[in-house]
Formats: sequence, structure tokens, C-alpha cells
Amino acid sequence: MDNKINLSQLAERLAQEGGMSKAAAEQFVKNFFDIISQRVLVEGLVKVKGLGTFKLIQMEDRESVNVNTGERFTIEGHQKISFVPDADLKDRINKPFAAFDTVEISKEQAEALSRMDEEDEQETVAPVAPAVPEKPAVPEKPAVSEKPAEEPKKSAKEKRLEQKQAKKAEEAKMKAQKQQEKKEAAKVVDTPTVKDITQKKGTRCLLKVLIAILTMILVIGLVLFMLWPVVGNSVLDIVEKNLNKAKIEMVSDSVKTVAPAEVAPVKAVEAPAETESAKPAESPAVKPAQPQQKPAEPAVKPAETPAGTDALTAAKYPVIKLNSKDEAKDLSEFTLADVVNYSMEGVLDTYTLKKGETLTIVALNYYGSKKLWPYIAKYNNIKDPARLKAGTVVKVPVLKSK
Amino acid sequence: MNNKQFLNELSDKCQIGAEQAATQVEQLIGVMEKIWQDGDSVSLSGFGVLEVKKKNERVSVNPTTGVRMLVPPKLVLTYKPSSLLKEKLK
Repeated sequence: MDNKINLSQLAERLAQEGGMSKAAAEQFVKNFFDIISQRVLVEGLVKVKGLGTFKLIQMEDRESVNVNTGERFTIEGHQKISFVPDADLKDRINKPFAAFDTVEISKEQAEALSRMDEEDEQETVAPVAPAVPEKPAVPEKPAVSEKPAEEPKKSAKEKRLEQKQAKKAEEAKMKAQKQQEKKEAAKVVDTPTVKDITQKKGTRCLLKVLIAILTMILVIGLVLFMLWPVVGNSVLDIVEKNLNKAKIEMVSDSVKTVAPAEVAPVKAVEAPAETESAKPAESPAVKPAQPQQKPAEPAVKPAETPAGTDALTAAKYPVIKLNSKDEAKDLSEFTLADVVNYSMEGVLDTYTLKKGETLTIVALNYYGSKKLWPYIAKYNNIKDPARLKAGTVVKVPVLKSK
Repeated sequence: MNNKQFLNELSDKCQIGAEQAATQVEQLIGVMEKIWQDGDSVSLSGFGVLEVKKKNERVSVNPTTGVRMLVPPKLVLTYKPSSLLKEKLK
């Protein structure tokens, strides 16, 4: 096997076969091949009966691409010696494989074949494994003499059939496994059937499970996000209540001292709000978090509509207060922007301030506008409107537009 | 150059009769065939290598009909000219 027989070895064998001297045989063989190689160059064609045809053929210029650089270059035309073996010799050489015919195959079979080839390369599939060693066994047969080669040929054919059946069986198995994978999604990894699948498929399975978990987390996150306004409203409700308290404090205290105090409760409320918002953000990973949130929902819902509007005003509240604070500062100089528009003529009503009420509220009650409170302040000569005490009696002037 | 011309030239060179040349050629081919059947190759300096190679089975597709055919593996006698002979071609 795989020995290189050189001239002298060939001549020796020929001498044994033809009963001639070794020197004559060597001379003959040398001449034989010399003539072929010389004549094929000169005449371009040498036919040897029983061996084949040596032919000189012209190769045209052709374009090729450098694999490393991707550059295109032309392979210049050249001459080439081709050899076509004699039909009889060809058949005799191919005798070990002569029993095989070209078979028409369906698409699925072709795919299964190519798939099997890949798996053979990987050497990971156990069920097909017995079929694999048969393949390399086939090319060894040409070494065997013609008669014994006949029998293994047939058996080889049978083996091929078996192989095909094995392929089909494997395909069916794979399909069944895929269906199971779809059904059981996450659990498939642990099921014993998966043991048959190659490692490649195992990783694929893992990926599927991961994707499933991720989507579930996403869905839970979305649900929580939808629920957030409801939960958030309840939080804002608390904020508003606290702000009301702050409002009351503000009435008794100066604006300057209240301002930081006002910010403090808001921050204090924001802090729990943050913790609350943080909780649902973490909870998506935990599935039971969802049902826990749901019972809270109906409890909050009735409060939703009033809380919604209140929450809005509450949210604006600090801003408004800041405005009034600015106005209070301006009040010391007491420049009335609206003086131009209105003149104060007579007393419309007297009003006793209750706890938590400010001049703005009085203005809102009598004039329908909070902005007109400076007229009341001016009319009553109140120098520090932010420090009014409960029970203060104010005269509400009649406003007439100029 | 056909077989007849070849045999004539060979008989001239070896100074043997044309008939003897023909039988010796047959014997030589027979010997080589046995060598190839043993899986060995015939290698001659200045000429090249004649050896049998195994072509694996493959799936071929008829481009016009799209029919897939499984082409069985086969053994083919191949010839590879020696580099010396290739040099002479240039």
C-alpha cells in the first residue's frame, strides 16, 4: 500500500512476467515512457492501447483572486498534459466500486446526508457512530483481489441502506425532540431525552431557555410599569397630605423658615417614593411580586381620580409658594402692578382669617383671582403678609377697574 | 500519435519485433495494473507518477432539472507529470 514503484522495481516485475532479462525489461520500460513523454510534447497526443491517452492541452488565461490579499490577478495560459485512461482499464481499476450506481435522492435525504457529514466531522453523534467506521472500510477493499471484493461490495451496499435508514430514524428522533423542546421550553435542558442531542443542540436549548426567561422578565416589567401610575398616585397622595401640613406650618412661620421646611417634607416623601419605586424595579426578577401588587390596585383606584388632580396641584404647589415668596419680598417696596388697573373704593366685606388661610385665598374667594391679594394687603396696611396670624381681621376692598 | 505508430517507434528503439513489442506493452500494463490494485503507484523519473486515487461520494445536482444525484465513490487512475516534464512545456 502507498508504495512508490520505480523503474527498476517495475522492470523486475516485468522480467518475471514476460520471462526476459532484467536489463532488457528495464530498457523496454525506459523506452516506453520516454517515447510517451517526448511524443506528447512534439505531437500533442499519444495513444497507448490498454493504457490510455496522453494529451497536451492548452489552458486559456484566467482570472483568479489572491486568497490573502483579495487582489485579482491573471493566471497566464499554459500547456498541460492530461491523461485519460482507457475505458477498459478504467473499469478494471474501479471494479471494487463498480456495484455502486448513481442514485437519485430526494431533498430531505440530501440534507440528512450533508448533516450527517457534518456530524461525522464533529464525531459527537452516538447513534450514527456504528455506521461511521464502515465508510473508511470501503476504500480499503480495492487492495483485496477481485473475487473477494465482490462480496464486501454487496455488504457495503447493504450497509449503505442501513445507514440511510439510520439517518431517517435519526431525523424522526430530532423532530420529536424539537417538538418536546417547544412544549417544555425551560425544562427541556434537564430531561433525559436531551442526552441524545449533541452538545451543540444543548447550547441551543440553553439559549432558548435564556430568551424565555428574559421575555418573562420583560413582560413583568411592563405590567409593573403599567401599574406604576396607580401606585405612584397613592404616593403622590401622601405627598400632597404632607404638603398641606407644611402649608399650615408655613402660615404660622415666616416664608424664609418655611421654605427649607417645605422642601424637607417633600424630600422626606420623595425618599419613600424612591424606595417604593425601587422595590418594583427589583421585583420583576421575582415572579410572585406580581400577584402581590394586584390586590393593592383596587384599593387605590377610588382615590385615583381626586388624587390625580390633587397631586397635580400638589406638584405645582412649591412653585407657587416660591412665587408668593418673591411677591412678599416685593411687598416691602410695595409696588402694585395692578394698581394701574384697579382702584380701591370702599369695603366690600370684612373677613377673619382662619388657621392655614392666606391673603391669596381671601383674594381667590372674593375676586376669583389669587393675583389680586396685594390690594387687600395694601388696603389693610399689612407690611408682612407672610406672617399673618389666625384670627386677623382684614377688610376686603371693592375693586373698580380704571 | 496512435497506438500503431507508438508500437513501431518502441520496437525500433528496443530493436525488437512489432509483435513482441505489442505483447510486452500488454505485459507491462498488466504488471502496472497489479501494482495499482495493490494501492501502489508507478513513479518514473522524467515522466511522472501514475497512481490510483479514490474520489469520495458526492451529491451532484442537475442544474436544469434540479434533480439531486448521489454519485458513488470511485477509483480513478491519475497521471501527474514530473516537474522535469513540466519544465519542458514552458
